[in-house]
Amino acid sequence: MTKRTRYFMAVSAGIVVVGLGSGLVAYYGGGFPSLSASRSGPSELSYVPADSAVVAFANVREVMDSQLRQRIKQAFPDERGQQEFQEHTGIDIERDIDYVVAAMTTPGAGGLKNNPNGLVVARGRFNVTQLETLAREHGGVVEEYKGKRLVKGSDGDRAHSVALAFLEPGLVGIGSEAAIKSAIDAQLTAHSITANNEMMELITDIDAGNNAWAVGRFDAIANQANLPAEVASRIPPIKTFAVMTHIDGGLSGTLRAETRDDQSGENLRQVVQGLLALGRMSNDPKATALLNSLQLSGSGRTVSLAFSVPSEVFDLLPGIRKEIGGGHLPEQLPKELKQLHESK
Amino acid sequence: MATPSTAPGYLPSALRVFDLSVGEMLWSRRTIFMALIVGAPVLIAIVLRLLDALGAPVFQVNGMQVAGPTVFGMMIWFFYLRFTVPVLGVFYGTSLIADEVEDKTITYLFTRPVPKGAVLLGKYLAYMACTVFVVLPSVVIVYLCVVPMRGSLGGSFLDLLKDLTLLVIGLAVYGAVFAVIGARFKRPLLVGLIFIFGWEQVALAFPGYLKRFTVAYYLQALVPHAMPNDNIVSMIQSFFRENPSLPEALFWLFAIMLGFLWIAAVSVERKEYVLEQ
Repeated sequence: MTKRTRYFMAVSAGIVVVGLGSGLVAYYGGGFPSLSASRSGPSELSYVPADSAVVAFANVREVMDSQLRQRIKQAFPDERGQQEFQEHTGIDIERDIDYVVAAMTTPGAGGLKNNPNGLVVARGRFNVTQLETLAREHGGVVEEYKGKRLVKGSDGDRAHSVALAFLEPGLVGIGSEAAIKSAIDAQLTAHSITANNEMMELITDIDAGNNAWAVGRFDAIANQANLPAEVASRIPPIKTFAVMTHIDGGLSGTLRAETRDDQSGENLRQVVQGLLALGRMSNDPKATALLNSLQLSGSGRTVSLAFSVPSEVFDLLPGIRKEIGGGHLPEQLPKELKQLHESK
Repeated sequence: MATPSTAPGYLPSALRVFDLSVGEMLWSRRTIFMALIVGAPVLIAIVLRLLDALGAPVFQVNGMQVAGPTVFGMMIWFFYLRFTVPVLGVFYGTSLIADEVEDKTITYLFTRPVPKGAVLLGKYLAYMACTVFVVLPSVVIVYLCVVPMRGSLGGSFLDLLKDLTLLVIGLAVYGAVFAVIGARFKRPLLVGLIFIFGWEQVALAFPGYLKRFTVAYYLQALVPHAMPNDNIVSMIQSFFRENPSLPEALFWLFAIMLGFLWIAAVSVERKEYVLEQ
């Protein structure tokens, strides 16, 4: 073997060793993902633990400012949930929050068997002093965890007590104490959801125009749904899901599911198609109008169901109907809805 | 009185032929072709990385963003598995003996006191060294360039290991198959190209047992990435795709490799190569 050949092989082997070494360090250390940086999704994902089974996002500002929200608000003026939340936490959802990132870690993680560990990270404008005072008034205790201020409930159950953490200026985390602490750890060790390729691929597939979305492993929500065994056994094996929606005057979006294999994908498409056909057989024009807005697609392991509910459909909701006086019929209303409107 | 020297054993003979052949094979004109084949994905990966750094929407497909690991998986399918591995196998595997016959130098090899089968084995090992030392660095560079874009090196590390392993297995199996073709057929390159771009593609697109007589059927079962449906043929192939289990795939790949290597070695041992004047 000539010297030239030996040099070539040494350089070649060196490249492979460097590549494998980098991958190995990244695999064990979890340090490289933050450098290699996922630029998809909000930066707050760095607080979401890597083992989260479900991740969701909502642009609260856009949703609150949407026509749909305004109409619902006018239709249900006595709704007090928002006000009660403000009384307990001091946070005015409508004014203080820009957007939220929510996550649910795998049930059973952190010793919480059969209990999902919920976490909400909210970006907005928060008065730290006021929030702390309010928490103390409700018997809360303030402590520090790795340099972050934590306000937690006074009850003894550490894992289940709700805690509030001031993660950064304008960023708070709300959830169980265990979830909040694992969020802080995830950010500090750079071992967050951004290092989880499976979840990040789902997040990057979210279309930019959506103002609310959720992605995750289907088994995590199926376990929580406590479905009857008969029903659960008939659902084709779904691996992951993604729901994305744009809320404005109406509601439009996509529900996407990834099955374990192509055969399961085909089965799921057939199940959904069957359900849609069954629904269309009913004589309820409201249901027919909604079903007509659904569009089933996908190939291989992917099953997609696009939906688009125009604002006119919401006019048929009892509260909103009353609000608009049950009067004029919008020009663009589907014929099924016109029939329904005329029948009432 | 000088004692008569004994002929070296099978393996030492093969290693001696390997030592002689590896440099010859690596610095031949065929290497330029190989560099072009494995250099293309590297170049594409670097360009993608640069464009992404400049903010160009290079990873958008139908309005959706695609993560680096997904692109890496697609590149493994398109560039390496479907093209580089079989094509390198054809070009190098068929030439192991055919080149010596064509250059009329096989006589010099066969007059040495080494088993004829060891000549083929040594040349096969040289082929493996040449291709592995060129293909693997190319894959690693693509991994380092593409995966960090909206993905993580750590998250795709196990996939990289699987990819490298399956590419080495692919080169070994295709090399053995085409070594037989090179040793037995008169126009081995043509037969080899018909095998990979004709037989394998058609057999995979039909339902039934035919696909079991291809290398791709077993090799594709090892791929950790989703099979892309980029054209009609691959859509049909994915429609009729059925994956053998991992142990079954590995068993058949090793069986094909060892079986074909043995057939190739026996063919070289028995065949009388008549050099055209």
